[in-house]
Amino acid sequence: MARYILRRSGYMFVTMIFVAVIGFLIIELPPGSYLEFEIARLRQLGGDMAPEQIRALEIRYGVHDPIYLKFWKWFSGFVRGDFGRSFEHRLPVSELLWQRLGFTVLISVLTMIFSWVVSIIVGVYSATHRYTIPDYAITVLQFIGLSVPNFLLALVLMVFAQQVLGMEVGGLFSGAYRNAPWSLAKFIDLLKHLWIPILVIGASGTAWLSRVMRGNLLDVLNMQYVQTARAKGLPERTVVWKHAVRNALHPLVMVLGMSLPGIISGETVVAIVLNMPTTGPLYFRALLQQDMYLAVTFLMFLAVLLLIGNLFADILLAWLDPRIRFE
Amino acid sequence: MANQAQSPATTRDLVVRVRDLHVYFFTDLGVSRALNGVSLDIPAGKVTGVVGESGCGKSVTALSIMRLVPHPGRITKGEILLYREREKQNGHSIVEEVNLTDLDPQGPVIRSIRGAELAMIFQEPMTSLNPSYTIGDQIMEAILLHQKCTRKEAEERAVDILARAGMPNPKTVVRRYPHELSGGMRQRAMIAMALSCTPSVLFADEPTTALDVTTEAQILDLMRELQAAMGMAIVFITHNLGVVAQMCDTVAVMYLGRIVEQAPVEPLFYEPQHPYTRALLRSIPHVGSRTKARLEPIRGVVPDPYATIQGCPFHPRCDYRKPGVCDVRVPATVEVGESHTVRCFLYTEQGEDNG
Repeated sequence: MARYILRRSGYMFVTMIFVAVIGFLIIELPPGSYLEFEIARLRQLGGDMAPEQIRALEIRYGVHDPIYLKFWKWFSGFVRGDFGRSFEHRLPVSELLWQRLGFTVLISVLTMIFSWVVSIIVGVYSATHRYTIPDYAITVLQFIGLSVPNFLLALVLMVFAQQVLGMEVGGLFSGAYRNAPWSLAKFIDLLKHLWIPILVIGASGTAWLSRVMRGNLLDVLNMQYVQTARAKGLPERTVVWKHAVRNALHPLVMVLGMSLPGIISGETVVAIVLNMPTTGPLYFRALLQQDMYLAVTFLMFLAVLLLIGNLFADILLAWLDPRIRFE
Repeated sequence: MANQAQSPATTRDLVVRVRDLHVYFFTDLGVSRALNGVSLDIPAGKVTGVVGESGCGKSVTALSIMRLVPHPGRITKGEILLYREREKQNGHSIVEEVNLTDLDPQGPVIRSIRGAELAMIFQEPMTSLNPSYTIGDQIMEAILLHQKCTRKEAEERAVDILARAGMPNPKTVVRRYPHELSGGMRQRAMIAMALSCTPSVLFADEPTTALDVTTEAQILDLMRELQAAMGMAIVFITHNLGVVAQMCDTVAVMYLGRIVEQAPVEPLFYEPQHPYTRALLRSIPHVGSRTKARLEPIRGVVPDPYATIQGCPFHPRCDYRKPGVCDVRVPATVEVGESHTVRCFLYTEQGEDNG
């Protein structure tokens, strides 16, 4: 097991290098970047400091170097934890990133837990109550969940929260707490705001996962070993949860690995609509503005999350199914 | 037929008595009449064979007695009585009659019977065990459910019963997962699991069909051996008449949801009475018959279960059918020899109208 994780980590490192090279190249491809814009701005400003500053920037980021040197300058810094600067925000990338990554991970993890818990419960219920009125109602809701774009759902929920619940919507905090230091009251305020993004980001995933769960469980419930479990005299609850659900979870776990970065990039539009302090809007803007060090750092982090998610899913799958071998 | 005991008996000849059992499946395509009045006695400590073509209701009969008929099937008529031996406080045991048809199929009473009194093994040993749990876990689950004991004792019992089921290295096998065992070994594990709570009846639904002949012979030997040692009744469901001759004390022949003939094994093979039984016996190859002789199949096919056949269900394929009789009414069950009953107008004038 430990050897397996170690070997997988090795593969992950190699994959990361590929992602870095390709990501860097693609971001570098179009002419112009925020760095050039910044240099032009400094040149225009003139003054005594400008030529010095420009030289320093050119050397630091290798503006006139061939591309492989440019890449190396960035990559060696990246490995040491120096992600470069965001020229638009005039801040080191790491500062911008850590500020927002926390909320992104929080929302992603909560969304994932939410959609897993709901989809397993709903999937099991509709599979064990197939072709009853609640099952049909759930099916309708699932298709609505799948087909409504989540920015629209975000807007609807915002209106609902404001008009009906009288909440101050948008962002993750009320105005009073936005810049306040952390306190219990601020935390409670955060919880009050969190449900909207979780619901919005999780809706389509939950609808889909519960559909998958239903289908799988229906297959598993027809398996002979479920009949064996019933023939032992086990209560139906144990038959379903212990013997059937466990064997129906495979596809859900496999999806888990994929959904980690999906949630992070998928929340971008929602985060823009809801005005949330997460990474999505920042990444989006960085790409538009060709603020390349910020963009490529995000890309790297998304790739790391995907790989970690996959590894985590594989380990979970091995725990779930004894037939899987670490070979 | 034995009369039903009125006063509490202390011993039992029968463990299960099925009377006029009807099971229908209410599907979108219509009503499929799986069982149309099955009456069957399962004697204690004997092996009863149930034979018939695919789709004649052999498995449904067993599942109905276990009260495990899958949705959308329902018992629509008839009764299933279980004679259950109960220890009284003074040390004597009495026989208690439980009407299984009255029970909630998911309720506590039937669950205390399933696995403990009535156990079942299935055709496909490859899929009958849950791939996610060890053999030991799955056997212990049944033991812990029905008997008062600790996990450690349950594990000892699991090892013990696996050893009795002829499993090599039972102590290591309890920690193995099903995919690590061969088909024959899995069927032994299934048998061990079914017998772990010493049931009164073991339903074996084509337990050897999926196995190769050598393994089949071993499993059949094992079942006979365990039956003799533990004294439970076995209901052996099969379409293999050779296996029936080898295993069973009495045989019930089913056709389209009815038992058409029931007899001890020897009279059934040597003096078959029902035209269907005769046809069935003629259709199997014999050692010593002319090598060029063709096997004689039964004319026609089993009718579609959604169709209702007026009269005796076998009459469209029967060589002896009497027009105006066989295609009008269903023959009644009559006794033609000792414990030998048959449902055919060759032996009776009595019949009943199709329900």
